[in-house]
Amino acid sequence: MLGKVLAVRTVRLIATLFAVSLLTFLLVEQLPGDPILAILPPGGLDDLETIERIRKELRLDDPVLTRYFRWAGDALQGDLGKSYITDQPVSDAIKDRIPVTMELALLATLIAAFLAIPIGAISAYREGGYFDRTMSAFTTAALSIPGFLAGIFFIWLFTLKFNWLPSTGWNRITDKGLLANLQTAILPAGALALAPLAINARLIRADMIGTLKEDYILSAKAKGLRDRYILMRHALRPSSLTAITVFALQLGGLIGGTVVIETVFALPGLGTRLISGIYQRDVVMIQGITLFIATVYVVVNALVDLLYAALDPRIRRQ
Amino acid sequence: MRSLFRSFGAAFLAMPLVVKIALMWLIFIVAAAIYSRLDRLFGQALPLQDPFYQPFLFGEARPVEGPSTAHYLGTDVLSRDNLARLLHGAWVSLIVAATVVSFGLVFGGFIGAFVGYTRGKVETVTMATLDVILAFPPLVLLLALVAVYKVRNLTMIALVFGVLGIPTYVRIARASTLGVAGREFVQAAEAIGTKRTAILFREVIPNIMPALFAYALINAGYVIVIEGTLSYLGLSVQLPEPTWGNMINEGRRDIRQTILPIFWPGLFLTLSVVSLNLVGDWLQQRVAVRSSAL
Repeated sequence: MLGKVLAVRTVRLIATLFAVSLLTFLLVEQLPGDPILAILPPGGLDDLETIERIRKELRLDDPVLTRYFRWAGDALQGDLGKSYITDQPVSDAIKDRIPVTMELALLATLIAAFLAIPIGAISAYREGGYFDRTMSAFTTAALSIPGFLAGIFFIWLFTLKFNWLPSTGWNRITDKGLLANLQTAILPAGALALAPLAINARLIRADMIGTLKEDYILSAKAKGLRDRYILMRHALRPSSLTAITVFALQLGGLIGGTVVIETVFALPGLGTRLISGIYQRDVVMIQGITLFIATVYVVVNALVDLLYAALDPRIRRQ
Repeated sequence: MRSLFRSFGAAFLAMPLVVKIALMWLIFIVAAAIYSRLDRLFGQALPLQDPFYQPFLFGEARPVEGPSTAHYLGTDVLSRDNLARLLHGAWVSLIVAATVVSFGLVFGGFIGAFVGYTRGKVETVTMATLDVILAFPPLVLLLALVAVYKVRNLTMIALVFGVLGIPTYVRIARASTLGVAGREFVQAAEAIGTKRTAILFREVIPNIMPALFAYALINAGYVIVIEGTLSYLGLSVQLPEPTWGNMINEGRRDIRQTILPIFWPGLFLTLSVVSLNLVGDWLQQRVAVRSSAL
């Protein structure tokens, strides 16, 4: 049964990836006008030699689909082309910068999980109470504040007002150790964590309110078990399936969400490279990074789907 | 007409206080955005300062002033009036959000209802196509799209947002249509031989609209955040046209002296999104109650 599900999902995943890569390619390639104009750096129009070189290297006179399949074929072998601005291979740029982006996304997920579970659980336990209402206001606010604004606010508060943490820059774990690394990572990760934190706290609360009304909770209470024990042992466990799924789903989204946060904090991540690629109109770089982020997003989502199917027999049957 | 007003009034009175305040803030923003463009529409000067006028060139004001009677919310990096720029920025957010919502409700609503009601191959192909667009992280897709345009004006940004917003609306419209299509009143209409187009427009679409509209409000808040993010990165409507996002970006230069140039657009942005979420949540709860009661 699971094997069939696996096969269907894999075929669907491959089809989606194919479509995503085609769209990424066409998006940047099929613009009005000569693509060479988009590729050339400002003022490069007089440089006939470069124009000829780019034209040859990209084989721009080939039909679009031929070029797409060549690009996609290379991409499958890990070659996403070379930037025309910096001459750096796109795959090197990704390899160089993905650790920062991954760490931010993971750290944000951790922060969101560590705070959302207790907030959600206590809010559900004291439904309608003072804590619940305060947290409901907090989650509404956290959901509405754009990530970049939260980031700027954190910089203003923790760096300029209190002078606790550095505002920009990045210490690599390998260079300066974990503590120095966390000093530079905590603010951007915190800004990034706000939205998933709010969503998760709300979901866990709603889920727990349902769970707490179950008969087995009542019987646990009747047995005289302590409230805290019931909350941790009996109520949290069935809700954790929802929580795990949501956390995993958000991880994919966060890899896209780090783009702007990295820019706010000037971190050497994948997002800043994408943005600088956009500013420089570096077509190859934009295509490569967009394809990479979209692929990670699609694959993570597919894996979560599968994990969920494996964990929950009801979904497996569909 | 009178009863319409009365039912609006009744609905307004039934709202919790926060939702009332949120709704009033939204009305204020819409009114302010329209007001800021009245001079362009009617060619008449308004009692609102010119958002592009730089008084420091004439010794009338300094950059990054605090609030004063001459400039109620102070001045920005180039000594332009913050309030005037905020209201002009409201117009950008309003137009982008309104475009996404109307594209979503009209095209998304129709396509979703159509494929959800007729089913078959058209449905499979449409949904598979839309899934590709939804497979991208939204911000990244938008970045890749706007990156290729050399000139970015409000029309172009609004259109890109509007088109990219449609898939989600199709999904929601289709899902609600699947629920509506099996209900008794649709079966009854089919039984008495009503044309399928008539059923689509008279039975299905009116019944999926409340849910779609509640989503539209929350979606509008999301769109405003995304537009603000693009603006902040300098990839939305171009300078010198003020947007809340690019005002925040410009304000960062003087963050060591004062946070006010960031605070005002940030406040407007956040309050608008909070308000849309609150009103949207409230509406969603009411819609849910109503459709479950049916």
